[in-house]
Amino acid sequence: MDNFELICPAGTPAALRAAVDAGADAVYLGFRDETNARNFPGLNFTRQDVADAVDYAHARRVEVYVAINTYPQAGNLGPWRKAVDDAARLKVDAVILADPGLLDYAAKRHPDLRLHLSVQASAANVEAIRLYREAFGVRRVVLPRVLTVPEIARLNAEIDIETEVFVFGGLCPMAEGRCSLSSYATGLSPNKQGVCSPANHVRYEQRGGSLASTLGGFTINVFGEGEQAGYPTLCKGRFVAGDGPAYLFEEPTSLNAMDLLPELKAAGVRALKIEGRQRGKAYIAAVVRAYREALETFAAGRPVPHIDLQAMVEGGTQTTGAYTRAWR
Amino acid sequence: MRDPDVAQTVSNSPAGERARRFETGLSRAGLGLVPRLGRRASDALLARLLRLLADRHPRAFEALREMPDARVLIEPVDAPVALLMRVGPELSLHALPRGADGAGEAAAADAVVRGPYDRLLDLLEGRIDGDALFFRRELSISGDTALILALRNTLDGEDEMDLVADAASIAGPLARALPVLRRNAGPVLDRIDAARRLLPPPLRRGIERLEARLEARLGGTAGTPPGGLPGKLPGTGA
Repeated sequence: MDNFELICPAGTPAALRAAVDAGADAVYLGFRDETNARNFPGLNFTRQDVADAVDYAHARRVEVYVAINTYPQAGNLGPWRKAVDDAARLKVDAVILADPGLLDYAAKRHPDLRLHLSVQASAANVEAIRLYREAFGVRRVVLPRVLTVPEIARLNAEIDIETEVFVFGGLCPMAEGRCSLSSYATGLSPNKQGVCSPANHVRYEQRGGSLASTLGGFTINVFGEGEQAGYPTLCKGRFVAGDGPAYLFEEPTSLNAMDLLPELKAAGVRALKIEGRQRGKAYIAAVVRAYREALETFAAGRPVPHIDLQAMVEGGTQTTGAYTRAWR
Repeated sequence: MRDPDVAQTVSNSPAGERARRFETGLSRAGLGLVPRLGRRASDALLARLLRLLADRHPRAFEALREMPDARVLIEPVDAPVALLMRVGPELSLHALPRGADGAGEAAAADAVVRGPYDRLLDLLEGRIDGDALFFRRELSISGDTALILALRNTLDGEDEMDLVADAASIAGPLARALPVLRRNAGPVLDRIDAARRLLPPPLRRGIERLEARLEARLGGTAGTPPGGLPGKLPGTGA
């Protein structure tokens, strides 16, 4: 049985080395600008960093993917096209794109460059995925985190390209690439500027024994004494409506689909993705090591072990997200 | 290059973890002594440490110098001293004692990171994930979040730092003592444990009480204001 490919995040060169050393099959990363959806201060790779990363990873038979997955701004295509050109020049193994115009540019300009469709494209049905395949030669699609496992199985039965799904990390409950919640509070979004809840709009304040998180001046959550804290993302905010404060969209919780490896394999999934380019190298080493162990055990036909990653996750709780959700 | 003996870190074994705790306590006590040297001498010592770190981690320190001028207060809640780091072209590090002497400069910080000394040291050395600490409320931040994130990401982008070894290497005799300590602390602590288990229970409990008192004294928890340094940023709950 072919094992899953394990696709791991890196926000810094040290995190890349940690991911490679811990057992990644491929590491995905972004350039240090708005062309990728994790455009945070102090994060990401210069062109030289990417060249070094490719050397380090390839020497250990690990692939490097570059995410260029924000949407180019009208009249300012230059940075996105340059990112694609540089990724090809630096001999990365694939680029992860979302914008159809940029996919078209990459397919025509760099026909040998492997194209993956980003989760930011939110391609969740057979027709959309076939279109990307036929029009641009996309070889793999990263599925949005809104599908159940049976839906993924049905999809895989009807398409002839690889699918990659998120298995661990921050859980985006929205149709990615189409969520503008962050823009309402800050004027900036992951789709164009590569930032959801940008740090320069985030403040944390002690209010008595409680911790308040604010975004663009709006209070997004107040965590009681001893309660686990989370990022001030609007989709995981606690808002007063009706009888009192409640999580209206999603609780601050993290995805962990380690228990679903048999189901995901049966559904025809090729690659498993760990989220967290914005996290430290200690997180990356711990999570990648845990998933590598789980995959090796699964491939050997033994039951998937329970590996405790509770300490790493937002909100201190884990979920299998939409994969097993019964409601819509 | 770092002396390989000094750079030899403690292992992840139980004995190694205990040795790390011992080493952390020692470095915390050492930090407490820095302001007693007087401002000029302590600034000179910390400038020397920064130069040493910049030599060993040029990528990170170049990035720190390219940041806009700003000040981050790193405040261990269980140590007698906080560190004020100025990033930007005039990169510098200052030790601020608790109390009125350090309050004015602490108040000028653009951002504050606060937590137990051992956690902050683990974080600065890239041994632990800062977000996970924040989720668990072991670490609190206030002020300019983007500044803290930029600092964290810049330092975390380096392969594991060894601040204890670097600090020891500018402190004369400690540079020679640390490798010996690291080699022997774990096994010695294990032997002490084994010997302790043979002691009569009343004597064992007496030793434990004494250790707890020493821990509090070394950590400087006595006399520490509940919210940390006085005169901190508005909105930090102190």
